[in-house]
Amino acid sequence: MTDLTQAAASRLLTDTNHNRRPWGLLLVAVPVFLVGWLVIWPTISAIARTVWRLDAEGNYGFNLSSYVFFFSDQYSLNNLAITLWTTGMCALLLLVICLPIALYLRFSSGRLPAYVQGLAIFPLFVPSIILAYAFIRVLGPNGMVDILFNAVGLPKIRTPYLTPWGPVIGLVWDNIPLTVLILLAGLGNVANQSIEAARDVGANRLQVFWHIILPRISNSVLVALSFSILGIFSAFTLPYLLGPASPEMMGPFMQRTFREVNDPLNAITQAVIAFGFCIVFGLFYVRSVARNRGG
Amino acid sequence: MVVLSPDRQRIDWPGIAFAMLLSAAIILPLLVVGTWAFTEVWRYPAVVPQQFGLRFWNQTLSRSDVWGALTLSLQLSTVVTLLSALICLPAAYAFARLNFPGRNILFFSFLAGHAFPKFGLLIAIAAIFLQLNLIGTFWGVVLIQLVGTLMFMIWIPVATFQGVDRRMEEAARDAGAGPLRVFWSITLPQAGPTIVAALLLSFVGTFYETEGAWLIGAPGIRTMPVLMISFINNQMVIQYGAVLSVLLWVPSFIALMFARRVIGGSAFARGFGA
Repeated sequence: MTDLTQAAASRLLTDTNHNRRPWGLLLVAVPVFLVGWLVIWPTISAIARTVWRLDAEGNYGFNLSSYVFFFSDQYSLNNLAITLWTTGMCALLLLVICLPIALYLRFSSGRLPAYVQGLAIFPLFVPSIILAYAFIRVLGPNGMVDILFNAVGLPKIRTPYLTPWGPVIGLVWDNIPLTVLILLAGLGNVANQSIEAARDVGANRLQVFWHIILPRISNSVLVALSFSILGIFSAFTLPYLLGPASPEMMGPFMQRTFREVNDPLNAITQAVIAFGFCIVFGLFYVRSVARNRGG
Repeated sequence: MVVLSPDRQRIDWPGIAFAMLLSAAIILPLLVVGTWAFTEVWRYPAVVPQQFGLRFWNQTLSRSDVWGALTLSLQLSTVVTLLSALICLPAAYAFARLNFPGRNILFFSFLAGHAFPKFGLLIAIAAIFLQLNLIGTFWGVVLIQLVGTLMFMIWIPVATFQGVDRRMEEAARDAGAGPLRVFWSITLPQAGPTIVAALLLSFVGTFYETEGAWLIGAPGIRTMPVLMISFINNQMVIQYGAVLSVLLWVPSFIALMFARRVIGGSAFARGFGA
């Protein structure tokens, strides 16, 4: 009986929906247009404009010279190398820092874990520009760390400000909250029973982690890493303010090429190269989110 | 009287270690910035400033560039949030409730913006804006910020609209209420709080967005974070940056209080693909 009413109701609903078909498309038209115009079109246009353009004689044609320039220019290559190094180092540090925190939070309860979780999520609410300023005041020359070291008679630190480690520290700080949240959500899928069962047959902590927990959260780990890699590879604010002037990361490099050198073609080429390096992570990330929402 | 809880018997060493390390890494830097904002004289190597005071608050707040940037940032965030609500909320309702051709693929198209490294995408957009003469204009920055809010402002409300109890809506319709009346009296009150949280997130997100504003807006449009960059790079007076940081952090803190219901739960992490 209930089934019948429900079936009838859902048929009714689909029927009314059927009549409204054009309405739905009309309502979503503006945001979909914006995505098409300001995300998909710029990407296609960026690729098209860098491979199909005017040559010296004024004819349009297939032309890869801006890419050839990038990959033969030592300065560009150094920038790419420092970007890859920073991204890899950040990913590694994020994993080393956030996985233990997430594991601890998953398997404990009470006030102390709540405090730890609050702290781990806190950077989400600190804009990166304020973070950059705080970094300089704490780790910069004569910063708080120097002051405290001096007070207990230790020598000054070699400040990471304006070295490649500056952006690494800032970007890791910035990315801790989402990494912890994503890993924690993944750990929620690990059933307590399976861990207890493994313990009962004599597995130690490391074995439980390696054989029971890790296989179940590997997807979350990849999602967390993809998400942070997409953000870190082309990060701008923190590398611009905390990193060295040369070599610089791709974000500041693109910005300088576009605005200061006033060379949009090479800036777009750099952007397309950044797309190329991130495409695997981008596709993986989108696929995971879509599967999560769809299923 | 009080019986020690069983937790107390075993000391939670890893918890204490995490709490101490995270406090040092996360609270300390912000504390230092807070101290600088209320400091008049702090010479190295004193651990505590020599002189506290509000002199630099007066100086910072009497600068015309600070007021200009603050007004501009507030205008920008208001315009972007209102526009975003105007175009995204109806779309979210349509995605949640109506059936139309291409619904799924259009819904997931909003993910496209997250599949690219962000600054690369900004450069690609900037190249288009260059031809349209939108570089350095208010509306250019509005457009770039609008794109940033789209996914938030559609996905969060869609989940909310889907969570509204349909039977109540049907009951209201059976009782003779028109579709608008049902939306106004049944759907909106239930979805309201989360939608307010999404609006707040897009307001705060726009307020702090630095990269798009810097790339598209410069030199004509100077928002608060852009001003802050120039303070960090060129300003010898340390306190200006500290006062601005404290000032800037206030809206973020309000957002923290309001958005707690949206953020922190696994639902939020799931939105990021966990």
